[in-house]
Amino acid sequence: MFNQRKRFLVGLLVAGICAGGTESLLAQRSPLEISVVKEGAKKDSVSLAGLRAAGPNGQLFVQTLTRDLDLSGWFKVTASREGTINVVGGLLETGAGLQTSTKVTWPGKSFNWARNAASKAEVRQAAHALADEMVKQIKNEIGIASSRIVFINRRGSNNGDVYVCDADGGSMFQVTQDSAGVIGPQWGSNRNDILYTSLKPGYPTLLRQTIGGSRRPLANFKGLNTGGAISPDGRRIALILSYQGNAELYVLDLGTAKVTRMTTTPSGAESSPTWSPDGKSIAYVSDRDRAPHIYVVDVATRTSKRLTYKGSQNVNPSWSCKNKICYATLRNGIFQIAMMSPSGDGSSELVPGQPEGSEDPSWAPNGRHIICSAKNTLYILDSLGDPAVRLIQASGNWRSPDWSK
Amino acid sequence: MMKSRMMIANLALMCGLLVVGTGCSWFGEEEITDTPGVIDVPVTDSDTGKEITGERFEDKYKKVDGVTLSPVYFAFDSYALAPSEIAKIEQVAKHLLANSSHVLVVEGHCDARGSAEYNLALGENRAQSIRGHLVNLGVDAARMQTRSFGSEKPAMAGSGEDVWRLNRRGEFALYQK
Repeated sequence: MFNQRKRFLVGLLVAGICAGGTESLLAQRSPLEISVVKEGAKKDSVSLAGLRAAGPNGQLFVQTLTRDLDLSGWFKVTASREGTINVVGGLLETGAGLQTSTKVTWPGKSFNWARNAASKAEVRQAAHALADEMVKQIKNEIGIASSRIVFINRRGSNNGDVYVCDADGGSMFQVTQDSAGVIGPQWGSNRNDILYTSLKPGYPTLLRQTIGGSRRPLANFKGLNTGGAISPDGRRIALILSYQGNAELYVLDLGTAKVTRMTTTPSGAESSPTWSPDGKSIAYVSDRDRAPHIYVVDVATRTSKRLTYKGSQNVNPSWSCKNKICYATLRNGIFQIAMMSPSGDGSSELVPGQPEGSEDPSWAPNGRHIICSAKNTLYILDSLGDPAVRLIQASGNWRSPDWSK
Repeated sequence: MMKSRMMIANLALMCGLLVVGTGCSWFGEEEITDTPGVIDVPVTDSDTGKEITGERFEDKYKKVDGVTLSPVYFAFDSYALAPSEIAKIEQVAKHLLANSSHVLVVEGHCDARGSAEYNLALGENRAQSIRGHLVNLGVDAARMQTRSFGSEKPAMAGSGEDVWRLNRRGEFALYQK
């Protein structure tokens, strides 16, 4: 009975978070109570039965939309003719592709949505766009269906390449053709711009690449050049350099071509920078206190503060739009994904439902889901408790995912 | 080779942003040379006010083959030099002091466990530890550079401590000035 009460209480809390991110409530609960959440967030049923899809493009649209809505975390597509939310309309196959004209209704509200798609790729993009619009209009949250994930296939010794796929795991393609060591790909200023560290020239070089276009070294100085993370305003890049003799965190201003050192740790090295959503702070990994832990630096004052103490290693931080940091923590010899407030109050919670040995977390643009690597493939975790979803089915050694913002 | 300079590529047409890149690179053939707004600008350090200079030995000099220098091994998650490894570093110092036309790249490696990004930093730490000791032994710091391969280039494939201990290492590459 007591357990049931507690579950109900936590359920209410989670509903509150879903409704608008009442994080102060969450912070007041003890980690024990939070870890009880297993059911995931409440879902509204969606019926797509009113979508007339005669041809293959229409079917692809419905199939893509169905998976997007399920992956959104807010909806459950039902096979019945009536849901809490109903999507009706026509998906007309024309010589030029697919014409979609739909209406989405839910209690007391509706919106119309139309788009033309000239190719299979555009049909999928259109379905992603409708799914995101539904999340925005109905739940007042950020959709993830149109976002993309960049990651690595590590084939073996000094042999890897960068890949990209949509947030549903589809439309996957290979970006680089290097068959060389590659580390830490991250999205740049848009969903077509990638930063990564390549070992192809025989030393670590930080590169910036436009998908389907050219690439340029951002930094190939003496020593280490890695960790490129673009600021939310797109004007600065946090990176790790050692041209002054020891690996330190720097910020490169793209407007003035000046670098400014953020850390001074003669007996330690920094890695894995990630910007706060307001662009004023950078969380990063440092082993200045012997083992790798997560620190945060205030960019204006260059003062750092240690954030993690629990666990023998804490690495790969990612800072969400909802102001939470997730990271990989090594506890009892196993990596797991935890999340914490950047305030440094020392409290952290494990992300529910994760596969054993999860590493390399990165927040989705909604600040709720997390992409991570485990068992040589990629999984989507839900910080609100939905079960983990395996993203990549193809065989490979898939690692280091980064979710576009 | 060219001087090490950075260039700013104004890709405003593409994404409304400035992009910084080095002009001298092995990517030369891939670069689009007529990108609008590309100008050469050196990157400066805002604290020292100085341009970041210095070419990589790998890009500038020819590799020296035929000199065997033993790898230096490290404990788990450590870049401290073990007493057992010091004699190997002294051998390297002896070679550099006797061959003034040789320069050195110290290469740091890690075992496969843990974060690839952190391992890149740890490998750099290991290389810097060795480089620091060589400076103490009288080798001019300007004759030595570092590079980290993190856990990307193990000496031996597989797992288990017998493999890992051989992969946590520093290696030496000589170049002819």
